[in-house]
Amino acid sequence: MTTTTDTTTVTVTIDGETLEAADGTLILDLARSQGIHIPTFCYQKRLTTLASCRMCLVEIEGHFSLEKRLQPACATRIADGMIVKTDTPLIAQTRQSMLEILLANHPLDCPVCDKAGECELQDTVFAYGAGESRFTDDKRVFRSEDIHLNPVIVFNAQRCIQCQRCVRMCEEVVGAVALGTAERGMDAEITGFGDSLSDCDHCGNCIEVCPVGALMSSPYRYKARPWDLSEVDTVCPYCGTGCHLTVGLRDGRLARVRSKYESGVNGETLCVKGRFGLDFMDGEDKLRRPLLRKDGVLTAVSWEEALSHMAEHARAAAEKGTVGGLVSPRLSNEALYLFQKLMRTAFHSNSIDSSTRWSVPHQALEGLFGGLYARRPLNRVLEADCILVVGSNVTESNPVSEYLMRDAALNGKKQLFVASSRPSRLDSEAAASLRLAPGAEAALLAALLGALSGKGGKGGNGGNGGDAPASCREFLECAVPALSAAPEVTILAGVDVLRSPQATAALRLLGTLGGALEAAGKRAGLQFLFDRPNQMGAWELGALPTVLPGWRSVDDAPARAALEEAWGTPLPSQPGADVHQMLARCEAGKMDMLYVVGGDPLLSYPDGELVERALSKCGLLVVQDAFLSATARLAHVVLPAAAFAEEAGTFTSNEGRVQTLRPVRRPAFEARAHTEIFALLASALGHDLGAATVADVFSEITGLVPSYGELGGDGGDAIGSGASVDGAFTVSSVSSAESAESAEPAAKVAAALDDASTAVPGDSQRHDSEGLELVTGDCLFHSGYVSGNSAILKTLAAEPYVEMSPREASALDLSDRDQIIVKSSHGEVKAQLRVTEDFPDGVVFIPENFPEIRLNLLMKQGEHPCRVAVCKEEEGLRDSVAT
Amino acid sequence: MEKVLLKNAETPDSHTVGAYETSGGYQALATVLRDYSPDELIELIKESNLKGRGGAGFATGVKWGFVPKDQDLKKYLCCNADEGEPGTFKDRAIMEKDPHQMIEGMILCAYAIGAETAYIYIRGEYTLSIQRLEAALKEAYDKGYLGQRILGSDFNLDIYVHCGAGAYICGEETALIESLEGRRGQPRLKPPFPAIEGLYASPTVVNNVETLACVPHIVTRGAKWFSAIGSASGPGPKLYCLSGHVRKPGLYELPMGIPLRELVEEHAGGARPGRKIKAVIPGGVSAPMILESDLDVCMDFESLAAADTMLGSAGVIVIDDNDCVVRVATRIIEFFAHESCGKCSPCREGLSWAVKILRRLENGEGKEGDLEQLDFLCEGIFGNTFCALGDGAAWGLRRALQHFRDEFVYHVEKKECPFH
Repeated sequence: MTTTTDTTTVTVTIDGETLEAADGTLILDLARSQGIHIPTFCYQKRLTTLASCRMCLVEIEGHFSLEKRLQPACATRIADGMIVKTDTPLIAQTRQSMLEILLANHPLDCPVCDKAGECELQDTVFAYGAGESRFTDDKRVFRSEDIHLNPVIVFNAQRCIQCQRCVRMCEEVVGAVALGTAERGMDAEITGFGDSLSDCDHCGNCIEVCPVGALMSSPYRYKARPWDLSEVDTVCPYCGTGCHLTVGLRDGRLARVRSKYESGVNGETLCVKGRFGLDFMDGEDKLRRPLLRKDGVLTAVSWEEALSHMAEHARAAAEKGTVGGLVSPRLSNEALYLFQKLMRTAFHSNSIDSSTRWSVPHQALEGLFGGLYARRPLNRVLEADCILVVGSNVTESNPVSEYLMRDAALNGKKQLFVASSRPSRLDSEAAASLRLAPGAEAALLAALLGALSGKGGKGGNGGNGGDAPASCREFLECAVPALSAAPEVTILAGVDVLRSPQATAALRLLGTLGGALEAAGKRAGLQFLFDRPNQMGAWELGALPTVLPGWRSVDDAPARAALEEAWGTPLPSQPGADVHQMLARCEAGKMDMLYVVGGDPLLSYPDGELVERALSKCGLLVVQDAFLSATARLAHVVLPAAAFAEEAGTFTSNEGRVQTLRPVRRPAFEARAHTEIFALLASALGHDLGAATVADVFSEITGLVPSYGELGGDGGDAIGSGASVDGAFTVSSVSSAESAESAEPAAKVAAALDDASTAVPGDSQRHDSEGLELVTGDCLFHSGYVSGNSAILKTLAAEPYVEMSPREASALDLSDRDQIIVKSSHGEVKAQLRVTEDFPDGVVFIPENFPEIRLNLLMKQGEHPCRVAVCKEEEGLRDSVAT
Repeated sequence: MEKVLLKNAETPDSHTVGAYETSGGYQALATVLRDYSPDELIELIKESNLKGRGGAGFATGVKWGFVPKDQDLKKYLCCNADEGEPGTFKDRAIMEKDPHQMIEGMILCAYAIGAETAYIYIRGEYTLSIQRLEAALKEAYDKGYLGQRILGSDFNLDIYVHCGAGAYICGEETALIESLEGRRGQPRLKPPFPAIEGLYASPTVVNNVETLACVPHIVTRGAKWFSAIGSASGPGPKLYCLSGHVRKPGLYELPMGIPLRELVEEHAGGARPGRKIKAVIPGGVSAPMILESDLDVCMDFESLAAADTMLGSAGVIVIDDNDCVVRVATRIIEFFAHESCGKCSPCREGLSWAVKILRRLENGEGKEGDLEQLDFLCEGIFGNTFCALGDGAAWGLRRALQHFRDEFVYHVEKKECPFH
């Protein structure tokens, strides 16, 4: 390991206890490890040291007498023979003085402060303060009213103790630099400067780290006292980063979400979706009862009626195996597993898919989930010397993962290389970044692989990018030597890789690249940057048409026999239809039933016309969801399911880590847990799905799915009790014979390069002067249809927008904030133009999941990238005036 | 004493390169580039025992020696010309009257530490100094003393003038560096010290104007000559800024270590007619005042430290018997509270609290317990602040409270000022 430096051990004495510790340990860390409490305000582990609050001053013998002053424990490192005292009359007196001085101007308005009860200042004064103040003069007042920095963050300057945690968090961790400090001395005030607040991510991490009630959450304001809340620790439902979060309810309704210092991959941070976007839990339009289409109208019915209607219509389809199932990667492992079991046993169908946005052959995937997949904490993976991020605007799709990448680059001094279609904030931390034409991830990987192996591929051409544009050659010139020299390399692949028509080639290239790096004696690791919380679980647990749980092919007879034995029923041996094939079959009238669990294919499938036609022609469309999605509005049967935080289970994060979802309450009204609905449906069809509880299902998974096998034993029970399994890592289940080592690396490289696309990475190639290439994806405030049910996120991301480079905009005589129309040969959408300085030419970006626009109406299967033309909305305006 | 730093001050056009050259200017540079390796120059400065004139009195040669020798590392020199200590006007005189002296010192220092870029961080209000420096730098470039291949050697140096925006704290070397980098002017955590990780995280030397101005003279006249002037522990010519209640306030160049009484009574002419000196602040307002009875102390770093004050910037402020020490203390603490950068809580909150009390006393609204509150604040602030600003303020106030307790008590008890 390159990051391990030789640490020498030194002997120190702290409060009379002599012990050994690593040389250079902070006194504060040492004290905390010994259970010695030293109060601090400005110290926060992941932020740069400020040493400004002067609360952690300690006595150091020798040093102390030399400098005649106490030293800050947060900034002083131990040395051999050092004698530290943290509990002397002088220190007690100093702490008391610091607090008395600090409180002089603090308003002491605890009775009306949201922070009271969990305020670090309050707690510290209680523990170390004098109890009474000698200060009798007028307190400083900045302003009589609190400032609403934006719709979710409120600031009270009077209470601020200038610890600068918020400013450092915003700058160093989030990278937004929205907050700063104006004026100096007593007038110093946290604020935006210039237009900086418009760069705010609304992540609220400033609120989380504020030790007092200076920065507060607007949605939580005056809602509750901390002691009024019932709080449950669970996992964020938005993306695959898998942040821990704590949901606080008051009287059964969501009051707030917070993160906890040193808990989970995220520690004290969250993104705006996690911190403010869970209000969908209490959404007004949650489904209350099952709905059945009667005379063309969705009508509330009983569970019995809905289920018997389904069973009646599904029985014949089940016998023919003409049932398809689309399941959302937002479901728990248990629900996903049970869903595929239901499909394969009760419906005799392998037609199962777990994304409505793409489908890739399992053969391209499973190799990656062998030894190459880094089933390790992200911060460990980011200790690699070189980090390659491909196909993701990670700033917007996995913000908290991005915080860790920024840290790796800035503090870990790791070399970061970013290749993506869209610019992101992470570019500025990268050693080099490259704008890829939409879908050109495979071409870039081929070029990299060619250059690294000295062979050159069609896209690589001798390792210099060949006829690739200059930007790509520059990127390779920077990245290739760095990758060659690095003892450890991490590859982080975003979902753009999966959206591309070249996805299969790209995934194979990822595997080959990893293999080639390993063959060169390096340590290599891959993680996906999924923008859904459980894509990893969905794949590994068999929510795919061609593989059973654990990456075993459906035509692998022994594997099938083992499951048949365990499940007590024969399984279909023919590969099923993927999402594309299912919709094609629906459209051709060959699909008798489509069962959509979570997700909203009508809005997210990248061919709006096709999906609409297909869904309308489906014999029986069943939608199971917490909300009446757009797809559900077309359904014959709608089953109300539990929303996030209303059912138990586990997610498998991008790290390959299994994390426990703890319900905070029961499903509302007549909604039921997904697993419960699957069991009910199976039993209506005369099948028994076996495992009855979530714990039983998990136990079955550990027994049957090798990568979860290690989590067995008591693990199953742990789901309910929230113990040992939580946070454990899955293991690779793909045997080494199947993964990278099977072929000679050089041969694999050659094969992969032959496989690779002829497209050139780098700038978009235009086929005609009019056309722009459309890129779609997540924005900071939306990820999938769930965020559309969050009132807060909808407020923050009020309008859809179109991003474009200044050059393209001026060529089309457009300016920032113009209302524009984006047209493809299939449809058009209206949105506001956002001219972005470093956006690449030739491309426009439109974020997904704005309910106002049906983005997929622009797109058609087989036409990627989607070509669009852009014009001002004026013509439309004229039309409306004329009518 | 023979004038050294001010020897050209009375010469017409003393600020021009011509006048400077006529007086032997830039000979030191030629000598060093011809005869000295960087290490030899550092040794020479160490031998001279030159101590920094900015206030802390750190050995200049030793500071230069801390800079890593690694050729690949970029290094910087910053000339601290942010002369903001109340009662101090010595650097200004050098920059207005003889800027080339300092520029030559900078070139020599840059050569010694291997810097090819240097900055002059100058107090923004020093308009004439800024003009003179800009003009002098242009002259130096024109003459080949700056730029590429200086005087035909392999040594290159560019010097830039950067104007401060008015914050006193930017005279503190790490705050100066932060400000130069475009950040808020606030002191940085040490270690790392600037010599290891300073400007743009590179090894950096920050030297005061007067310190750098001494360097050419040491080269031309030798370390022995220099170390023989004044105090052995910190020798050399020294600029003393005399202000306050003396007959002849002004700038005096005299040896280091001259007795304060001689400086005040002989050179500055002593108290004004009919007045008696009550106390003297020896080194700018960061240095505690001393009583008239202690004026025999010598003006060097060690002697003044022993007298529980400091040489600081050698801004000598004389307070006579017609002046109220409470008022003096109020003005000083008001200054520090205004200039506190706000980074650490004892300085930010504590000084403004002290101002509120002092103003009350001054206005005849003092209350019982006020002096104890001031004592408490001095204790709470002193030794606990992030940098020396708060320390200096609390130290000075504490000494004023000790020396002139009766004046403070009078303000509380009589609710009026005996002087105004």
